[in-house]
Amino acid sequence: MSATIALRAENIIKYFDQPERFQVLKGISFDVQKGEFLALVGKSGSGKSTLLYVLSTMDTDYEGGLHVSGEKMTGKTQNELAAFRNSQIGFVFQFHYLLPEFTALHNVMLPALKLGRKSRAQIEEEAMAHLSTLDLRDQAMKAASKLSGGQQQRVAIARALINEPSIIMGDEPTGNLDSRNTQVVFDIFRGLAREKGQTIITVTHDEDFARNCDRVIELSDGRVISGVH
Amino acid sequence: MKGPVNYEIAFVYLTSKLKQTLVAVMGVTFGISMYVFMNSFMTGVNDVQTDLAFSALAHIRVYNDGPADNTDLVRKVYPEGTLSNIRSARVIQYTEGIKHSGEIIHFLRQQPELKAITPEVNVNVFFRNGANKVNGTLSGVDVENENRVFQSATYMLEGNWNALKYRNDGLILGSGLAANLSLHVDDNVNVLTADGNAKTYKVIGIFQTNVTSVDKTKAYLSIGATRQLLAKNADYVTDIQVNIGDFHQAEKVARRIAPIIPYKTESWQASNQQLEAGSRLRDIIAVAVSLTILLVAGFGIYNIMNMTINEKIREIAILKAMGFNGKDITRIFLTLAMVIGLVGGVIGLLFGYAVSVTVNHIPFRIASLKYLPMAYRWQDYSMAFCFGLATTFIAGYMPSRRASRIDPVIIIRG
Repeated sequence: MSATIALRAENIIKYFDQPERFQVLKGISFDVQKGEFLALVGKSGSGKSTLLYVLSTMDTDYEGGLHVSGEKMTGKTQNELAAFRNSQIGFVFQFHYLLPEFTALHNVMLPALKLGRKSRAQIEEEAMAHLSTLDLRDQAMKAASKLSGGQQQRVAIARALINEPSIIMGDEPTGNLDSRNTQVVFDIFRGLAREKGQTIITVTHDEDFARNCDRVIELSDGRVISGVH
Repeated sequence: MKGPVNYEIAFVYLTSKLKQTLVAVMGVTFGISMYVFMNSFMTGVNDVQTDLAFSALAHIRVYNDGPADNTDLVRKVYPEGTLSNIRSARVIQYTEGIKHSGEIIHFLRQQPELKAITPEVNVNVFFRNGANKVNGTLSGVDVENENRVFQSATYMLEGNWNALKYRNDGLILGSGLAANLSLHVDDNVNVLTADGNAKTYKVIGIFQTNVTSVDKTKAYLSIGATRQLLAKNADYVTDIQVNIGDFHQAEKVARRIAPIIPYKTESWQASNQQLEAGSRLRDIIAVAVSLTILLVAGFGIYNIMNMTINEKIREIAILKAMGFNGKDITRIFLTLAMVIGLVGGVIGLLFGYAVSVTVNHIPFRIASLKYLPMAYRWQDYSMAFCFGLATTFIAGYMPSRRASRIDPVIIIRG
C-alpha cells in the first residue's frame, strides 16, 4: 500500500439481519488518496451511510478489509479502534449528536481531553479558535441543548476537527445548514484538505457540494457505479 | 491523563440533572435507612426478649436433682426373674442441696466463659400474715452476686435491694405475694418451713418482675438468714446460678463442666426448650428480614442505575464514536454510581438513625417496657453502608459493562 493512500476498502460486504437478512454492501473496493476531498453520493438506501460507518471503524460487523493510514483496521478490538478513532478520525454525524448537558466548548474539547496530548489551557484555546472560525464564539459557553440545529451541527464539526485527525468523515455534515454556513463548512473542509493534507470523506445529497469535491463516488444498491479510478 | 476527563464527565452527569441524581440518591438512602432501622428494631426486640427471659433464669443452673429412682432396688442386684416383695419402699437418707458448694463455686469461677455466679438457698415455705397463708418460695441469696446475675435491683418497686445485705430480719416480697398477704413495707410477715420452723421477718422491699408466677410466689432473704432459718451450715446451697458471656453457648459450656460437678448441671436450653425455640426463631426471622430488605433495596438501586445508564446509552455511543473506550465508559458510570452510593449511604445512615430514634420514642407500656425497643449497634450501620456501596457498585458495573461492549453504530443508527 503506497504511502499516499489514506484509506483502502477491500471488497467490503455487509448484511443487515433486521427485519430480514439483506445484503446492503455488495463488495465495495476503492482507495482514497491523502488530502483528497471525496464525496459519497447515491439514492437513499444505496448503502452510502452504511459504508461510511464501516469506513469510520464504528461498525465492525462486515466482511472484507479496511486499511486506514496504512494500518489494518479489520480485526482490531473495540478499545483499539476507539483509541484509533480518537486520534485519527473525526466524525460529523447527520444529526450532530452533541452531549446535550455539556457546553458547546466542552463538547469540542472532550476528544482532545481524552487524547490528553495537550494541556487543558491549550485545548481550550484551540477549541475556541475552531468555534470562532465557525462563527460560534458567542455560543461557546451555552449548553449544547440550548443551541439551534445549525449551531449544533457546526459545534459537531468543530469537535471533529479538534484532534487534527488525518481523516474527517461526515454523514451529511451540511444537511442542517443554510447555504451560507454550508459554504463556510465547505471552505473549511477544502482548506483542511489542501493545506493540512487531511482527507475528507462525506456522504452528501447536496449536488453543489458534491460537484465541488475532488472526486465523487456514486453508490447504487450496494455497489459502486462510478467514481473509482 | 485518562482519569480526569472521565471524572469530569461523571461530574457533569451528576450535576446537570440534579433532580434525577437526587432520585437515585434517595433510592439508595431509602434502602440503607430501612435496613438500618429494621435491623436495629429486630435487634432491639431480640434484646428485650432476652432480657425478659433471663430476668428469672440463669444461663446455667447447678442443683441437686434429688435421689435417683429407687423404687425397684432388687432388680439392680438380682438377675431377671427373681421374685421379690417389697412394699412401701422409703429413702432413709439422701443429701439435700449441694455439699461442698465452696469448691464447686471456686471451680466454676475458673471457667473463662463465666461472667457472674451466685449461690442460692431456695426453699418452699408458707408466708403467713394473720389468717392469710400463702405457699411460696423463699430465696436466700448472695445479695451482690444475685444482682449481677439477675439485675434484681432493677425490679424493685419499693425499698432498696442492697438493704437485704445488712438486714438479717429483712424480707423482700414479690408484688403479687405482698398483695395476697395484704402486706406493705415495714409490716411483719411470718415464714413457716416444711420442717416446722417459723420465724417473723420485716418487709423491707417489694419487687415486680412482671412475670406473674414469680411476683405471686417469691420472696428474697439474705442467704445467711435463710441458712439460719433452715438450721443448715454456712456451706449449704440448693442452687448455683451461672451466667456466661454468650447465652447461646450455655449448652456447650454446661456439657463440658457437667462431668466434673457431681450434681445436675443444666443449661437454660435444656430446662426451657420453648425459650430456646423462641430465641432461635427470632434470630432466623432477623436474618430473613435483613436478607429481604437487602434484596429489595439492592434491586431498587440496581433499577435506578440501570435506568440512568439506559437513558444515557446514546451519549455513551457518541463518546465511543469520539474515541472513548469501554474502560472509560465503565469508569464514568462507576464513578457516577459510587458517588450516588456514597452520598445516599451517608444520608441513609443518618435517616435510618433518625427513624430509629423516633420509633424508639413510641410508647409501648406492656410488662416492663415503656417504649418500643431499639438497638444502636455500629455493626448494623457499617453493614448497611458496606452493603449500599457494594450494591451500587454491582448495580453500576453490570449495565455499564454492557454499555461499554456494544458497537457505537448500533445505537447511533437507531
